[in-house]
Amino acid sequence: MRIAYFATLRDVAGKREEGWDRPAATVGDLLRDLVAKYGPEFARWVFEQGELRLAIVLVNGRDVRGLQRLDTPLAPADTVTIFPPVGGG
Amino acid sequence: MHGWIGKVLRIDLTTGKTSTQPLDAGLARDYIGARGLGTKFLFDEVDPKVDALSPANKLIFVAGPFTGTYAPSGGRYNVVTKAPLTGGIAAANSGGTWGPALKYAGYDAVIIEGKAPKPVYVWIRNQNVEIRDASHIWGKTVPDTSDAIRAETDQDAHVACIGPAGENQVLFACIMNDLHRAAGRSGVGAVMGSKNLKAFAVIGTGAVTCANKEGFERAVLKVREMIHKHPTGGTGLRLYGTDVLTNILNQIGGHPTKNFQDGQYANADKIGGESLSAKVLQRPKGCFACVISCGRVSKVTTPKYKGEGEGPEYESAWGFGSDSLIDDLDAVTKANFLCNEYGMDTITMGATIACAMELYDIGAITKADTGGIALEWGNAEAMVEMTRLTGVGEGFGKKLALGSYRLGELYGHPELSMSVKKQEIPAYDPRAIQGIGLNYATANCGAAHVRGYTIQPEVLGTPAKVDKDTIEGKPELVIEYQNMTAALDASGACLFTTFGVGAAELAELLSTLTGVGYSTDEFMKCGDRIWNLERLWNLRAGLSAKDDQLPERLLKLPIKTGPSKGSVSRLPEMLPVYYERRGWDASGVPTEARLRALGLA
Amino acid sequence: MAKMLMIHPDKCTGCRNCELACSMSHEGAFRLQATSVHVYTWEREGFSVPMMCQQCSDAPCIKVCTPNALTRDAVTGLVNLDHAKCIGCKMCVQACPFGNAVWDEVANKIHKCDTCGGDPQCAKACPTHALEWVDDTAATRDRKRAFANKLKEAFSE
Repeated sequence: MRIAYFATLRDVAGKREEGWDRPAATVGDLLRDLVAKYGPEFARWVFEQGELRLAIVLVNGRDVRGLQRLDTPLAPADTVTIFPPVGGG
Repeated sequence: MHGWIGKVLRIDLTTGKTSTQPLDAGLARDYIGARGLGTKFLFDEVDPKVDALSPANKLIFVAGPFTGTYAPSGGRYNVVTKAPLTGGIAAANSGGTWGPALKYAGYDAVIIEGKAPKPVYVWIRNQNVEIRDASHIWGKTVPDTSDAIRAETDQDAHVACIGPAGENQVLFACIMNDLHRAAGRSGVGAVMGSKNLKAFAVIGTGAVTCANKEGFERAVLKVREMIHKHPTGGTGLRLYGTDVLTNILNQIGGHPTKNFQDGQYANADKIGGESLSAKVLQRPKGCFACVISCGRVSKVTTPKYKGEGEGPEYESAWGFGSDSLIDDLDAVTKANFLCNEYGMDTITMGATIACAMELYDIGAITKADTGGIALEWGNAEAMVEMTRLTGVGEGFGKKLALGSYRLGELYGHPELSMSVKKQEIPAYDPRAIQGIGLNYATANCGAAHVRGYTIQPEVLGTPAKVDKDTIEGKPELVIEYQNMTAALDASGACLFTTFGVGAAELAELLSTLTGVGYSTDEFMKCGDRIWNLERLWNLRAGLSAKDDQLPERLLKLPIKTGPSKGSVSRLPEMLPVYYERRGWDASGVPTEARLRALGLA
Repeated sequence: MAKMLMIHPDKCTGCRNCELACSMSHEGAFRLQATSVHVYTWEREGFSVPMMCQQCSDAPCIKVCTPNALTRDAVTGLVNLDHAKCIGCKMCVQACPFGNAVWDEVANKIHKCDTCGGDPQCAKACPTHALEWVDDTAATRDRKRAFANKLKEAFSE
């Protein structure tokens, strides 16, 4: 899997993107793993009480809010793109 | 009156006479102010068939009731006129501090008529209105104009002016105020230039009063809190500016690329908000009473593109960047600075250059036309030089000054202009996002994202996420956004307050400030009224359903790259439903019943 | 320990919310000639600075005020202006080295920051905390620490 980070998440993760080997069955599983790796700063931007808080999470360019949200399944070749909720204009 | 001042200034540049008239309370109540009131004045006073660049056109500057108060991010004004670019109505919206200055000087609006015999500027200090010679200032850039005028009037005067582009009547010339803020689209600057009016300097010692001070203060605190809590309104826009959208639109495959030949650009990140913040941003900036601070004070130190100013916004970065396959942030920022200095709309400028690049690519334009410049895709230097040439009115710049439609027409390919009603489409691809396409096609000023910014629900998911690819419910959604935005624009509020609040909160602010009770429904109805009035005027100007269209490319050529690959705009399916839901007939003409319901018949 | 209004011009966006809050709370209307805080914006550089009375310990304005309208409050440490005693001579305007005593020709009065009785509205209204109401010892410490941090980062690996 490939994960791409944007805006404030680039500062939190310290990178623009990374390859991710650890299997995650769903988007929710992946986000929990990322919070475990990057800590509360990451959670603050993406999760609020286990819910996406206006963060835009794309799987292969498609918004998970139009799929199964946190239950959206993930495959090993997928690209997950994460934007904190900062966009507009 | 509260919120409103209650006075309209009228200046006849032909005779040099000035006069004032009271602002009718009924008009103020029904049209609110700014875009709404300006539209009403235009409708009542200007024949829709006039030549936009003739003395018969009027140039109307109008502030809203919020303007000059601490209604959060509520300091805007509008310029309403007949647009030289589209032949329909123009209502260009600007922030900064000029609008509040007009209110403190004692006016809600200024109506400029006729044409001055030679270049002039208007100097207003409270009830003192002078028309002064501007021949020694004609030709100056926007910053130099502002300095020169303040030196002759008052160093604290607020200046709205045109640059050389407006003087040369570039069809997309804009009016700049406070150096970096633009009443940007549709060529309002060209109208000002056609009247030999170089600038407007204003200073005032008056007050804007409030009907219900405790109520207004409570409403203001609530709105501030709601905007502050919203991640975009409260944080994102201050950190990254609007250009944060580059990567968002690009990742979903809705970022128009290469004159809309595609919807995704591999190098978009280089001109996105993250790069902007890292490389050229100095600090955020806020307009009058702003709590959001999306403005970007920026500086380029690379010698080739050296400069300082503000921007670029998302549309501007896109126009000079991805639309022409350019990924050089310094060049893109420089082009933005040049547009501010010469006084030109960045969206039209960028999109016109992209169109020219496609014309060059197919051989419809050659180096013989461009004065030896290789107008190839990705040529950043050429893009910056073309911007400068347009600003100063030299070489191929004189052709670019026509905008992409007339440029394309000149060289036999108007279909390569990505425009609606001859106004260039901004940076959201209608093939990837259905609702925004319907908005582009039906906006009365021509293609414009801000008229019905459905990107909020369709892409960002605020207040709730709506499927961008479906057409189901889109006509209703677009109408709701268009109506709300028209009322919002009329109040003097900034569109970005919608990252936090909606019609209900704006109606409460308006009611407590003015003492005129607006329910949420009444507020929305004002917006509906304003929209229909714009439409009526446009119909009389000769625009009709055939102009509610998108370029063939967006209806027929699917996006090639990215997650929105294979999509086209389904405008033809949405449009009839849109007319019907608006209460218009099948030809897009408002019915008697609809007009009566809005008090327009 | 007294409090002071700390100005952070690097955070100022030029929005004037401070002026609006001052005007509304003192005058009950929005009249920007009538404020005690003024923001100066250099548009070319995009830099803004809010300015208001600094409540000097050894105030030149107090020295020149013949009717003693300007006095020092022993408890708050503020320079108070009693409008009832003010004769409008504008000597304080002449004396203040910072230009922070302002004559309002419309209302015929002096405007000078009174910190809103210890609850400055400008600091509350500022969206970016460019104005902060802080303890007068902590104020300088925080800025010093912030710049010390920059020096630390310059030496970091």
